[in-house]
Amino acid sequence: MSDAIALYIHFPFCLRKCNYCSFVSYQDKEDDISTYLQAMNREVELRTNGEQVRSIYLGGGTPSLLSPWQIYDVLDIIQSSFLVIHGAEVTLEANPGTIDRHYLEEIRKLGINRLSLGVQSLDDDTLSILGRIHTVVEARDAIEFARDVGFTNVNVDLIYGVPGQSLDNWNWVIEDTIALEPDHISLYPLTLEDGLPLTLAIENEQVPPLDSDIAADQYELAEDCLESSGYIHYEISNWARSGKECSHNMVYWCGGAYIGIGVAAHSYMHGRRCANTSDLDLYLESFYKNRLPIFDLDEYIGRELQVSETIILGLRLSDGIDLHHASDRFGIDLIKRYNRQICELTSLGLLECRGERVALTRRGRLLGNQVFWRFLPDGELGTNE
Amino acid sequence: MDQSLIRNFCIIAHIDHGKSTLADRLIELTGAMRSDEIREQVLDSMDLERERGITIKAKAIRLDYRATDGSIYRLNLIDTPGHVDFSYEVSRTLAACEGAVLVIDATQGIQAQTLANIYLAMEHNLEIIPVLNKIDLPAAEPDRVLEEIDTVLGYSGDSVLMMSAKTGVGVPRLLEEIVKKVTPPVGNVNRPLRALIFDSHYDSYKGVIAYVRVTDGHLSKGDELRLMGQGTEMEVLEVGCFAPDQLPVKVLSAGDVGYVATGLKSVSECRVGDTVTTIESGANDPLIGYRPAKPMVFAGIYPTEADAYQELRESMEKLSLNDASLSYEPESSPLLGHGFRCGFLGLLHLDIVRERLEREFALSLVVTAPGVRYIIHKTDEQVVSVVNPSELPSPTEIEIIEEPWVSISVITPSKFIGALMELIMDSGGVYKRTEYLGHVLLGELGQRVQLEYEMPLRSMLTTFYDQLKSRSQGYASLDYELIGYKDAKLIKLDVLVNGLLVDAFSRIVPPDKAHDVGKMMVAKLKEVIPRQLFQVPIQAAVGSRIVARADIPAMRKDVLAKCYGGDVTRKRKLLEKQKEGKKRMKHIGQVEVPKEAFLGVLKLGA
Repeated sequence: MSDAIALYIHFPFCLRKCNYCSFVSYQDKEDDISTYLQAMNREVELRTNGEQVRSIYLGGGTPSLLSPWQIYDVLDIIQSSFLVIHGAEVTLEANPGTIDRHYLEEIRKLGINRLSLGVQSLDDDTLSILGRIHTVVEARDAIEFARDVGFTNVNVDLIYGVPGQSLDNWNWVIEDTIALEPDHISLYPLTLEDGLPLTLAIENEQVPPLDSDIAADQYELAEDCLESSGYIHYEISNWARSGKECSHNMVYWCGGAYIGIGVAAHSYMHGRRCANTSDLDLYLESFYKNRLPIFDLDEYIGRELQVSETIILGLRLSDGIDLHHASDRFGIDLIKRYNRQICELTSLGLLECRGERVALTRRGRLLGNQVFWRFLPDGELGTNE
Repeated sequence: MDQSLIRNFCIIAHIDHGKSTLADRLIELTGAMRSDEIREQVLDSMDLERERGITIKAKAIRLDYRATDGSIYRLNLIDTPGHVDFSYEVSRTLAACEGAVLVIDATQGIQAQTLANIYLAMEHNLEIIPVLNKIDLPAAEPDRVLEEIDTVLGYSGDSVLMMSAKTGVGVPRLLEEIVKKVTPPVGNVNRPLRALIFDSHYDSYKGVIAYVRVTDGHLSKGDELRLMGQGTEMEVLEVGCFAPDQLPVKVLSAGDVGYVATGLKSVSECRVGDTVTTIESGANDPLIGYRPAKPMVFAGIYPTEADAYQELRESMEKLSLNDASLSYEPESSPLLGHGFRCGFLGLLHLDIVRERLEREFALSLVVTAPGVRYIIHKTDEQVVSVVNPSELPSPTEIEIIEEPWVSISVITPSKFIGALMELIMDSGGVYKRTEYLGHVLLGELGQRVQLEYEMPLRSMLTTFYDQLKSRSQGYASLDYELIGYKDAKLIKLDVLVNGLLVDAFSRIVPPDKAHDVGKMMVAKLKEVIPRQLFQVPIQAAVGSRIVARADIPAMRKDVLAKCYGGDVTRKRKLLEKQKEGKKRMKHIGQVEVPKEAFLGVLKLGA
């Protein structure tokens, strides 16, 4: 892996917050958008050391709320502050309810070469439980427009394990998605935190409870359908046509360096991981004071943690992790150190050894956490500085 | 003081009928304390008593009362525990009195413990003054209750005092009645000392403080005394009366009620019910037959954290200094670690001990399902007693099992007779008698009825009382009395989790209930044990025969949501939390069970 970093830009504004969302995003704060963009510009200027950038990812929130002009400005400041390498992957997350053909045409011209569509479902009942602002028709249109205007790398995000959704219904959603021929598909399980509208709806019995067995069935069904349609399952939650794997996310999983710009954005450089404040007002305040935003998190990832994270993140990939290689890198015999865990997990059918590599089994992919926590270091963890 | 001016009396009542409020009012009216000094319900000094509205330990207070005849009388009020668990203490208290004020709630009428207490008072030949309390409440039904009192207890309407302890109405007249009706003590001050211990508590400076009623002779500091039942000898450090706090006096004489500071280290050396006399030229006969109260109900008490055992041991020691009825023996369980098998007078006593340990000693406890003491006649002619179900010998070694039985009395409106009879029969009850109390109809509830049954004490220890209350919409009241041991047909029901027998879940049940109880326990465990990475069978077994089974399917999904914008740390923290959670798990072989789940099943009524 070269020294080039990944660059993440967080845009924390939405027209409406979804019922299941616990990410940092705000609705009804559109008035702050232009100030926010200026603040991000300033952060880029303060933070850059002229690093090489291999990928840019505009995530949110709903970055597709930005006008093409605003996107132009964002990309412009990045390009003048970093060395964006030729052919870098430039992704924009888009909500199908916020875009049209013209918009996509414009942003493609600006250099966005990968579109990640928050489709979430192709079933209107499911979309309404999730509280999405778009319909199935809008989602289909978005994919079609993207193709029409020349996007050759389109991702579709889907959510499985939504209360009340049957396996049959999910089967249609998957088949319909495959028929739309996206280049990349991400499947995320619905995970709810306390106090969210959907959590409350379940508590009030307006919506059936989460059912982990149906969710597991849905995941396995998707695995089968996608594989037989030629998608490569390269990471727990991600499938792609050959060559369309998301290079930005690969940086996270392979332990590469990244810089995050904007509210709540995370960076990992030189063994240090930090996160900007997740408070929008505090973030904007730093801009007025002309200094870097304060951190919610600032930790040094010591060697033990690096070992753990390397294994945990590496195991997310279908190829697993080359323990021999990792042992050499850290100068520790990891095969010996984790012998007990590996034996236990192998006998439970969650892990399999393939030569020097260990990887999750099909069952293990659905039980990833049960595998991962066993590789955490014992005792005191991350050190705050 | 002239004995003819002394009146020793107590108040007896069903729970919540207003005994403590009446005591407060008597104290206020006689000026023993100003009203602003009276924290509500003075006699209940433990927080727990105040909260639960029950009196756990008997207390005493001296009231000086100027009667309408102009004389000043000394009224010694001895408070009694109102709950059936403490009926032994009640009977000791009664033995220290010549009269009893019987309080009956005008909104509720006679309840099971009213009857139990009045029969005890009659046995001790006490003068009884019946009082109808709470007449100020809108829900009061004085006519109906008076008729009931007349029919059941034989006190005609005009001999019952109408009163509201809360407002004070009728209380002055009660004071006059006490002076007029209760007979003065008749002991002889020149005879050898005889004093009855009706209560005691441990004081870290003066040792055990024994509460005594002096019947004959006199007592003062420096006297050398002997307990006639237990044989304990001691020197008197101090004598005094309750006014209402301990007030040292020079001498306690025949007829007096007061305390003796003994310097003894534990209340178990100085038990309630024993008679005190002097070592030299003492009395020959005790006042009443002495027997220590025997524990009836047993349960394991363990610290939630294994390393708190030492603390629990010290706390048990301290608590037992003040509670002679509490017994405890070290015990250990593979799953629960080190703890104690404790004996209690009854379920309430168990609850009180548990709460006091948790509250006063800040301990977090695991209490196993309560059980009784079984007597096992083995085929090799040995007789053993078993208080822990997991220690029951195998069926082939058992000739006969005996278990304790109680006679119960339930008072209920007739509407609920069917539902209650069904419950009692289901609990192994044997019908004895039905009696109608009074003749007044209570609307659609029908007449009030007393049901008498005999049943195994074992059946009362789980959900019986709760069910009695719920099936009677809260109207039924219960009293019980131990009647002895009877042969029983019982077996041990074991629970196996993933093939491993879990001793803490073993129960002793009748053979015909094994299937139902087993099914319930298995279902409950299936509900509370989280899914593991492998399938877990849960079985209930009698010997090698499986009577119920449920399988917990293997866990299938445990994945985190989207890893957002490189937020690796948050994911790691979630995993760290998961790892931490594993440490708090109890292990049954390979199976991990959250402690709370485990406790839930231990408490399960089965």
